Amino acid sequence: MTKEMQFKTIVAQYCEVEPENITNEMRFREDLGFSSLDFMSFLGELEDTFDVELEEEDLVQVLTVAEALELMERLQEEA
Amino acid sequence: MRKNYPLTAAQKMHHNWILKYKTQQVSGVSVVASLQAALDFGLLKKCIQLEFERYGCMRIRFTKPDAKGEVKQYIVAKESRDIPLKDLSGMSLAEADALMQQWAYDTFDGDDIPLCDVTMMKLPEGYNGFFIHMDHRLIDSCGLVVMINDLMQLYTHYKFKSEYPADLADFEKVLEKDLKRANNEKRFAKDKKFWDDQLDALGEPLYSDIQGTAVLEEARKKHKDKKLRAADIELENLFVDVKDYILEPEPTRNLIAFCMNHQLSMTNLLLLGIRTYLSKVNDGQEDITIENFISRRSTHDEWTSGGSRTIMFPCRTVISADTEFLAAAYEIQNVQNRIYMHSNYDPALIEEEMRRRYHTPEHTTYESCYLTYQPMPVKMDNPHLENIRQHSKWFANGAATKKMYLTVSHTPEGGMNFSYHYQTAHLQEHDMELLYYYMMRILFKGIAEPDMTIGEIMEQI
Repeated sequence: MTKEMQFKTIVAQYCEVEPENITNEMRFREDLGFSSLDFMSFLGELEDTFDVELEEEDLVQVLTVAEALELMERLQEEA
Repeated sequence: MRKNYPLTAAQKMHHNWILKYKTQQVSGVSVVASLQAALDFGLLKKCIQLEFERYGCMRIRFTKPDAKGEVKQYIVAKESRDIPLKDLSGMSLAEADALMQQWAYDTFDGDDIPLCDVTMMKLPEGYNGFFIHMDHRLIDSCGLVVMINDLMQLYTHYKFKSEYPADLADFEKVLEKDLKRANNEKRFAKDKKFWDDQLDALGEPLYSDIQGTAVLEEARKKHKDKKLRAADIELENLFVDVKDYILEPEPTRNLIAFCMNHQLSMTNLLLLGIRTYLSKVNDGQEDITIENFISRRSTHDEWTSGGSRTIMFPCRTVISADTEFLAAAYEIQNVQNRIYMHSNYDPALIEEEMRRRYHTPEHTTYESCYLTYQPMPVKMDNPHLENIRQHSKWFANGAATKKMYLTVSHTPEGGMNFSYHYQTAHLQEHDMELLYYYMMRILFKGIAEPDMTIGEIMEQI
């Protein structure tokens, strides 16, 4: 499984969209129906799964799947 | 071989209350769900028994406490027992509700025993359904709503050939995942740091009471400590009364619209309403802490596995009087969002840390108000039942561990129900009237003029 699909599989656990139907342009709140609690729990799960640490200032910028993916990749490279 | 598991933080919260208040009554949760229609009780019994198989949390039991009072949980493979039928159809609905309220006070006493009772009910006015009485360590209110819906989907499947309900997540698997996460050292260290940092930044919290500053002053006198910042918890007289207020659909829509337009959650708006009231009646106190319950359900598995996932964390904010209403709401939202990210942490450890740092006397607290916002109504969400009148009701367990516990839920008519549970040892209905009245005044003033400052709102209402 690619990292992107692994990421989308986690996203899919929090919404009613299959991983293969999750596009990078989708917005977490508006398109995928994430609540604040969902989003923050999801970020916690990303931290555990990909072994990265998310900073609050980074999170403010994350609205779409693509932005979250990019952030994860950047953090993994930096680690 | 039987597999024993430790309790999750959410389960421990209820367990610790049982130990502290010395009665299992504080952990009771009861609800009746009924339809104004004839039911096939033979079939309903089969569906209830099937639900015991599908919903693993109904089969949780606890071991005998060890020397420290700690218990382990395990899930029995099969709960084979009869489901009784009680006939209250000769009573009025109010009398039947009053009787079921008495049942809600019943306790589950003993170790290694079932902690879930389901009784089929014939109720007045042609209502028929079931009464569920459980231990909160097994389930929370969201879990109960999921269970009721699943049960009725089973019933309509067998009765009307509707689709068989989708599989529910395996409770044990979700429990194992939760426990694994709680034992992740890196995660634990991050969560601990978050909560410790808050204390480092803000120092010791300060108690604020619904009845004003006199309560803290009294505690200071009792403990002979003029600088005490915490007040006593009532441990003896736990009797609770409930006062419900309904907010009509139209003003409810205004609150919802405000939340949507400003990307705010209703919980945070309600927290702002309560904290502003507390600030008003405590001489403008800026540092306010309210305990807020979070139903830790985000993934599909978490939603459908049942269990007790609701856990409370202190929402502490220091908001000055010159902060605009909307800015204050965002401030609360920021705090709450950070709390969500660290909500795997055991709140008992936060309390422990505060005791270690501030040496507060035993059985004291910084909070007088507790909030649960419950977006899910107890309604059987099933197309086969949508034209049938329903009678559903939560019953308080009658023993409050909290001075004032507000549950806000949505009514089927589109309004909101504000249900205030209050300890009668210290509070009266009039206190709840004032709290509700001012909460509404604060919220509606704030949403009408969101750039008005908190100080101005407190002055004008």
